[in-house]
Amino acid sequence: MNLITLKNKSREEIATLLDVKERDSLVEKFATLGLPNKKTEEYHYFDVEKLLDVDYKTLNYIPKAIEEGDKIEIIDGVVTKAPKGMRVYSEPCESIDMDHFDSLYYLGHLLSPRIIRIEVDGDCHVEILHKYTQSDALINYRIVISNQANRHTTMYENFEAEDIHNTLVLYGYDMHVAQDSTLRMVKLQVMHDNKYSMVASHKVNVAKNANVLLKNFDFGGDQSLQVLKVELGEHASIEAGHLLYLNENSKRGTASQIIHRGEHSTSKQEAKNILDGQARGIFDALIRVEHSARFTKAEQSAKSILLHEKAYMASKPQLEIYIDELEASHGATTGQLDEKQLFYLQSRGISYIEARKILVIAFANTLIEQVKDTRHQDRIKSAFEAVFYASNKG
Amino acid sequence: MSKGNNKSVMKIENLQAKIGDKQILKGLNLELEAGKVHAIMGPNGAGKSTLSKAIVGHYDIEILGGDITYKDKSILEMEAEERALEGIFLSFQHPVEIPGVNNAYFLRTALNAKLKHQGKDELNAAEFLRLMKGHLEMLGMKSDMISRSLNEGFSGGEKKRNEILQMLTLEPEVIILDEIDSGLDIDALRAVSEGINKMKDGKRTFLVITHYSRILDYIEPDYIHVLKDGKVIKTAGPELVPYLEEHGYDGIEED
Repeated sequence: MNLITLKNKSREEIATLLDVKERDSLVEKFATLGLPNKKTEEYHYFDVEKLLDVDYKTLNYIPKAIEEGDKIEIIDGVVTKAPKGMRVYSEPCESIDMDHFDSLYYLGHLLSPRIIRIEVDGDCHVEILHKYTQSDALINYRIVISNQANRHTTMYENFEAEDIHNTLVLYGYDMHVAQDSTLRMVKLQVMHDNKYSMVASHKVNVAKNANVLLKNFDFGGDQSLQVLKVELGEHASIEAGHLLYLNENSKRGTASQIIHRGEHSTSKQEAKNILDGQARGIFDALIRVEHSARFTKAEQSAKSILLHEKAYMASKPQLEIYIDELEASHGATTGQLDEKQLFYLQSRGISYIEARKILVIAFANTLIEQVKDTRHQDRIKSAFEAVFYASNKG
Repeated sequence: MSKGNNKSVMKIENLQAKIGDKQILKGLNLELEAGKVHAIMGPNGAGKSTLSKAIVGHYDIEILGGDITYKDKSILEMEAEERALEGIFLSFQHPVEIPGVNNAYFLRTALNAKLKHQGKDELNAAEFLRLMKGHLEMLGMKSDMISRSLNEGFSGGEKKRNEILQMLTLEPEVIILDEIDSGLDIDALRAVSEGINKMKDGKRTFLVITHYSRILDYIEPDYIHVLKDGKVIKTAGPELVPYLEEHGYDGIEED
């Protein structure tokens, strides 16, 4: 399948090309937004057309018997393992109750007639491992996650790829965060060697008095974009942290919209970006405070360090505010490692490479140390160091 | 140009250096005798801090001519970290703050780099903390100082004590103290001086850079070198200090 064939097509043509029936509203939304290109704001810094204009092989997503395991394992879009007692199942999905600014969100749903539903019971920690084994493939799947009111859940997302190449992954989750609950999602994704590219299109609805913490740790090379839309109800809050550490020719980052709908809702979004080689980082983030969201607090910051003269950071924090009764701030900085700090460390016998590593980790640490589970924190630090040494050989 | 016939550990010959477009050192000669305390005194802008930066290989400095030899080897081509590993230490006048870098982690990394360079076993965390305990007590530093970010939010006195803590830990052979007394109250000055005097074992060499003679009441110098307009114009014994106190630098005649 070559997704570029969907460019500038009518609803009827899209339905025919994708062979979908009875999903008119999805087709209509996708047709209205159109296939993304360089002029699409959220894809402005990401070469999406190049990824779409490839003949990918398509896969079957026939559900398998789910084995018992210590984590949820999803191989090429199909669940293969789940912890005992966890409600994880594949089910048809004809319509969705969410909306998004990203056309690939709708395309992902149109390409995935079944969704993976994860219902989290009680207070728990869940790990999700995404594995990719197919080369030259289009892997598409959607996950719907819901938790229970008054419960606290932490989910850890990790990604692995076998020795594959030129695969495109379109995936994402629709997350319903129940009233008075807390949901933490910690994602670690290390990419390298052009095994696969990814567009992850997520939608998160945060109900009254609920809290969401999204922590993304995106390291290495290659191409991936996270397109995120979050809606906050009354007294709801989100704390989103994005740590990018890129090298080589990678293009990765986040395009997001956080919408305050309810009164007294709170958002805090912090991005730290470290770019080496010819990497391009993306942080195109909008916080919108609607008329209904009086007495909200919105805080947004993006700090970037360029380790190479050819590295580039597209940093666009934006606030869109329709009321007066709120507290809001945003800012962005881009710079290089501090020469004085580097020299200070070297003057104590620490090598130039180690001194750089110490300063780069120090910059990143404020986000890494927010992961309270030491096992996962160590995993993130190890992944970070591996990318650092890959970029600073000798 | 020290007096006596003892072995010199560092020799600076006809050193010329600039910062930006401005030449600061204009043919400076200085010889540091092993195991002695050398004080460099001089008016503002004489080149005292530039000299210390030139010795440790600071990126600001461009060497225009001359040489610095340490243990009979030129160090001008050596990187700053190599000079440090070989035993040269500068206590900075204004130590930088590095948020996010744990003080203990930094110091252990530096110590282990040095031990590795010397072919010795590195210290594990427990061994390192035992070593720190004694140093912290001697310097009157709170134990939480080493668990904080490096120099972040430290007072002027705390920063200087932290420099001395690094000196005690790394045990360098040539120790340059750049305005170590600036910003210190009397208690901090005493603690810092005690740390420095502890390192005076007749083998280590000190180069004390100062505007004022106050620090020399605590760290007794063997030699006083007067630096003016990028050159050492006079070298004498400690008896020169009261003369400078009384007459200033203008009345000093070049050797």
